[in-house]
Amino acid sequence: VNDTVTIRPRRLMTSRFLQNKQIVIDVLHPGKAELRKTDLNHFKSHKMYKTAPDVIFVFGFRTHFGRSKTTGFGLCFYAKGNESKHRLKKHSLYKKEKTSRKQNKEGKNRIKSKGAGAGATPWRCHSKLR
Amino acid sequence: MGALARDLFSWGVRASINERNREARLCGEGREVLESDLPLALSLLNNLQEQVVAVTAQIQALTKKVQAGAYPTDKGLSFLEVKDQLLLMYLMDLSYLILDKASGSSLQEHPAILRLVEIRTVLEKLRPLDQKLKYQIDKLVRTAVTGSLSENDPLRFKPHPSNMISKLSSEDEDDEETEEGQSGTSGKKATKGAPRKYIPPRLVPVHYDETEAEREKKLLERAKKRALSSSVIRELKEQYSDAPEEIRDSRHPHATRQSQEDQHRIKYEESMMVRLSVSKREKGRRRRANAMSSQLHSLTHFSDISALTGGTPHLDEDQNPIKKRKKMLKKGRKKKGFRRRR
Repeated sequence: VNDTVTIRPRRLMTSRFLQNKQIVIDVLHPGKAELRKTDLNHFKSHKMYKTAPDVIFVFGFRTHFGRSKTTGFGLCFYAKGNESKHRLKKHSLYKKEKTSRKQNKEGKNRIKSKGAGAGATPWRCHSKLR
Repeated sequence: MGALARDLFSWGVRASINERNREARLCGEGREVLESDLPLALSLLNNLQEQVVAVTAQIQALTKKVQAGAYPTDKGLSFLEVKDQLLLMYLMDLSYLILDKASGSSLQEHPAILRLVEIRTVLEKLRPLDQKLKYQIDKLVRTAVTGSLSENDPLRFKPHPSNMISKLSSEDEDDEETEEGQSGTSGKKATKGAPRKYIPPRLVPVHYDETEAEREKKLLERAKKRALSSSVIRELKEQYSDAPEEIRDSRHPHATRQSQEDQHRIKYEESMMVRLSVSKREKGRRRRANAMSSQLHSLTHFSDISALTGGTPHLDEDQNPIKKRKKMLKKGRKKKGFRRRR
């Protein structure tokens, strides 16, 4: 059983708008049937990529018919924390605050009615109301 | 025109003089003939002079009229007039040519030939215009000959508001329907003369009922087309044709549509860096398309060519009649920008 895995990148696109580089990755694994996600994520800490592994994300791997080729996507960001939250969560780089929705709304309304500062309950907020 | 006239006159004079000379030479009684001919020649020449004067007077009058603007041409000449004049000129030139040739002179560098060629080219250029106007001219001629519009003329079917006015306005309005009916029929009578069977005008498309025979014919044709592209016939063609054998990756013809869709999907996914979900229907279609090309069933089953050999067409197991796909677009199931054909 041949255990070598060849990684072939394809279609590299640099997006200055999203501040990332997008790439389509072809993985050839003639011996193995499928690749596990852990294996796929492992190679992002490879020395070949001169960045830290926490700005590289790979996803969407689909194995072609015949089981020797898998195609997926990869993103490499210019700065940390620019990736979408669900992907950061998968690699435990993001943690959501454990506030409930109801409490958020109550807290916000209290502040609004009283016009005072933060108060005891912190709440998740996107606007500049705080 | 002027050149032609000059030529004809000179020819006429020359002809008469030539004739006289020939006669004189043939007879040998030169002097006597000359003496007898002298008064005739004089009278002819006087005649000629008078005619020339008359023609110049006419032409001068014409030019004055043209300069005065009696024949306005800013809107262009009538097409038919131009054609008439051209044809006349052509005939004159042609007859002059024939006369010259008949009297034995050569046609080399004859001025009439150039004129003929010019008129001919103009006539040729007018021919497509003639084609375009043919319908209108024919219609007008027919109307002029028969005195009224023909039966099938669509102009007959324009609305006649005079038919709508009730001609029985003085009577009471008990039965409006009968009144309208009467006025309608009287209107129809007025337009068509004696009461004839009412033929509705063919302005609205009518539903076409396909008969059984026609449907069978259509099925047969379709089966023939399918049979012509089957593997049996293709192999026969290859056997008997001189062209070299082409090696192509063989794909079942029904699998190409699915493969095209797949390619489209893959392109979209790779450019947008997203994975699209595959519905059950899509999965089924894909499986069927793959199965068709990879079955051992296709090794021993050849497509039905009975259509070409004269048998009755029947549907094969592989080929279902392509049903019309109903567009059932559910809300929120379509990703923006990617159109999936269902």
